[in-house]
Amino acid sequence: MKRVFILFLLVTGCLLLATLSNAADKPAKAKIPNTPEARERGKGIYFKRCSFCHGLLGDGNGPAAQQMMPMPRDFTTGLYKFRSTETGALPTDEDLFMTISRGIPGTAMQTFDSDKIKNGLAEEERWQVMYYIKAFSDSFADKDNDPYQQVVKVSNEVKSSPESIAKGEKIFKEMKCWECHGDRGRGDGPNSAKLADKFKGDPILPFDLTKGWRYKAGNTPLDIYKRFSTGINGTPMPSFVDSLNEEERWHLANFVVSLQKREVKNESVLRARYVNGELPSAPDNPAWGKAESIDVQMAGQVIAKPRWENPSVDLVTVKSIYNDKEIAFLLEWGDRFKDAVHKPELDYKLPNEYGGYVKWKDIPQEPGTFTDSIAIQFSVKAADGTKKPHFFRGDSSNPVNLWVWKADLEEGGKPSVEDVNALGYSQPIRVQPEKDQQAKGKGVWSGGVWKVVIKRPLTTDGKNDIQFEKSKFIPIALNVWDGSNGEHNLIMSLSSWHYLFLEESKPLSVYLYAFLGIAITGIGEWWLVRRSRKER
Amino acid sequence: MKERFKTSAFLNTAITLIVVYGIIKWVIPLVSRQITGMPFPLPVPGTLMVFYLILTIIALFIYITFSEERLKEFKVPVERFLSGDYGIRTRNIVLAVIPLIAGWQVYDFTVPKAAAPTSLRIQHPSSNFPKNMETLKNPLENPNDNQINTFIEQAKQGSIEFIQQVKEDIGRWKEKNPDKHILSFIPTEPVMKFLNELKAGNISKETAKSALHEKNLFEGRALYAMNCRPCHGDSTGGDGPMADGFKLRPINFTDNGTIETIVEGYTFWRVSNGGIGLPTEATPWDSAMPVWKLNLTDEERWKIIMAEYDLAQKTPRQPEKH
Repeated sequence: MKRVFILFLLVTGCLLLATLSNAADKPAKAKIPNTPEARERGKGIYFKRCSFCHGLLGDGNGPAAQQMMPMPRDFTTGLYKFRSTETGALPTDEDLFMTISRGIPGTAMQTFDSDKIKNGLAEEERWQVMYYIKAFSDSFADKDNDPYQQVVKVSNEVKSSPESIAKGEKIFKEMKCWECHGDRGRGDGPNSAKLADKFKGDPILPFDLTKGWRYKAGNTPLDIYKRFSTGINGTPMPSFVDSLNEEERWHLANFVVSLQKREVKNESVLRARYVNGELPSAPDNPAWGKAESIDVQMAGQVIAKPRWENPSVDLVTVKSIYNDKEIAFLLEWGDRFKDAVHKPELDYKLPNEYGGYVKWKDIPQEPGTFTDSIAIQFSVKAADGTKKPHFFRGDSSNPVNLWVWKADLEEGGKPSVEDVNALGYSQPIRVQPEKDQQAKGKGVWSGGVWKVVIKRPLTTDGKNDIQFEKSKFIPIALNVWDGSNGEHNLIMSLSSWHYLFLEESKPLSVYLYAFLGIAITGIGEWWLVRRSRKER
Repeated sequence: MKERFKTSAFLNTAITLIVVYGIIKWVIPLVSRQITGMPFPLPVPGTLMVFYLILTIIALFIYITFSEERLKEFKVPVERFLSGDYGIRTRNIVLAVIPLIAGWQVYDFTVPKAAAPTSLRIQHPSSNFPKNMETLKNPLENPNDNQINTFIEQAKQGSIEFIQQVKEDIGRWKEKNPDKHILSFIPTEPVMKFLNELKAGNISKETAKSALHEKNLFEGRALYAMNCRPCHGDSTGGDGPMADGFKLRPINFTDNGTIETIVEGYTFWRVSNGGIGLPTEATPWDSAMPVWKLNLTDEERWKIIMAEYDLAQKTPRQPEKH
């Protein structure tokens, strides 16, 4: 028994250690000194791993820079966003080390921590490359700029509680955070379209605080408290050191954390529930409460020219319900601006020379240029085994059926959904004749969120239409366009194939079997008890 | 002394079962992470858990029924429980809960669930792989004398021909460093050696070849960063900014069993023909891999492949000799 107990302790100890040793980002060993040799080693690393985005001269203008948004940092200015120092100050070595180690979510800057990825940079290499990067700017050489003299004090954390969050919400209103970040933190405030950064005067959008997975420098209360205390250099985000005391900054941080969507239901099967009676044709109908939802993750369309690696919609929440006649979908996604105008004369034209990826400066990115839109894609033929059309618009022998909802049609009072077909991305899509147009849509934009309902009869006469059958796995995929992000035509975000499953009500046999299970076990127990009594 | 720690056979059995469960549930995933060095544990399938636990129960059963005495000892707490020695109420509650658990398990097992149909996918299909490509070699790995001499000539004149995509960045560098040789932005050993020999006026062919290789690698890395990085990631870990959006995740080249296990010719074929060029058994409809022969020249694709192997620190499989 003693031995068993010791083994038990060992196992628990191991498990505890495993959870503790996960505190990364901070260097485990002592910092190496900034010597010419270290910088020389750093130069080699920079050339191989950093220069293609940040440029050979560190000016943030490498060969891949133009296609990404936000653009790679220009190291010659000494202007850095994520620091532990006062607003306007330089970052400490540890700040830069942390950014290199964990990368910047939602941007092209990825983690370089060799503990997280196989061929990342070891701690020593990260220090070396950091020293080389610092050498691009003269500001670090100036003794008056010593960032270590300007580190912002971090007070004891005020733990999150409903009271603290309520106080934070009040501060959010009073400090006018909503003017940029919006009432519910969606980044849709009245000023959000007018902002520019201080690096090159490029347009910059206030962060959508609900996207817990995209916080550029960490999504914990401490990370957010630090942003309030240090400001974000080069952007309109100020420091609140002078206007809010430490406790207030913690309340505000706790409120911001409470806005985050943290759990992503990234499942591949969307289950459509059967309902009695009429299906809702608008998003705000309480009938949607009964439906199950999944979160569909989206990627930029990078499969064919024009490739686009800056999609603004990275997640769409989908629900579906059906009755005996119809099926309805509710699609929900964050979009800062309502764009319900389309100017086809501004459409992107492929350049003749290398034009693999779209340079974002080549397309207009302002509200009122291209329309917001979403499309649900199905396979026209019923799935044959696991065979499907290609998830990007099908292929020449496997057509797909898309229901394309467009904000500009809705705004113009026209039928807002077009029922179309596609035979591969290289072919133009074919709009079905008017008599076959049976999908109906209704979209509502409010507070930085689009909610769109699309419904259609379960079966139609159209031979190019999807026909829905119960208890089958039906491939389903999405395309989304954010107009003010310059998205139109193939410049869009798209998802892989997911499955739609029309659930039938549970068969009675399920309950019968469960009852039998209970009965048999119960009888067995009764018999055992009786026997033990007899033996007495 | 030994007697003091002796516990009942029943308790021992229960503890053994819990320990085995704990090992499969937590210790195996933990250890597997240490062994593979990956940030996620190896999955332990549910059937494996059932299988191991049944084996354990059988072993315990044999152990207990092996001697009459032990069986008796094992039965004591069970019988005392059944006859209510531990309290009639406790007994009744436990006896009522067990059938409910059984019923719940049966319900859970029989209720229809919509789990995505699994499709078997062959990662390296060869049914439509042209056999002549098996022995195809990267032409840039072994430049002929003519190509090396041209490179030396260009270096002597200080006007190396680079691909269009990197010209601008190199141009800005040259503007800032007008006195330096155009190649000296490449801070690697072979290039520095080549530049020293160039200055001294005695260039060996081998050095020139290595320097040319470095120049090609540089261009390949740039093309990789522009075209492949969004999905495969700048570390080639299959974790680029677009990766989460694809159900069939981009391949992680740093994994053993990916680009290491195939010949160069195969890599070239896959890069050229993309996901759509795959045979049915490799579910081409799920792959986001572009058809790169439409947008990149042969030479550009070979440069990318060079850079890809170099970044992932892998070497391609050598074709078999016949």
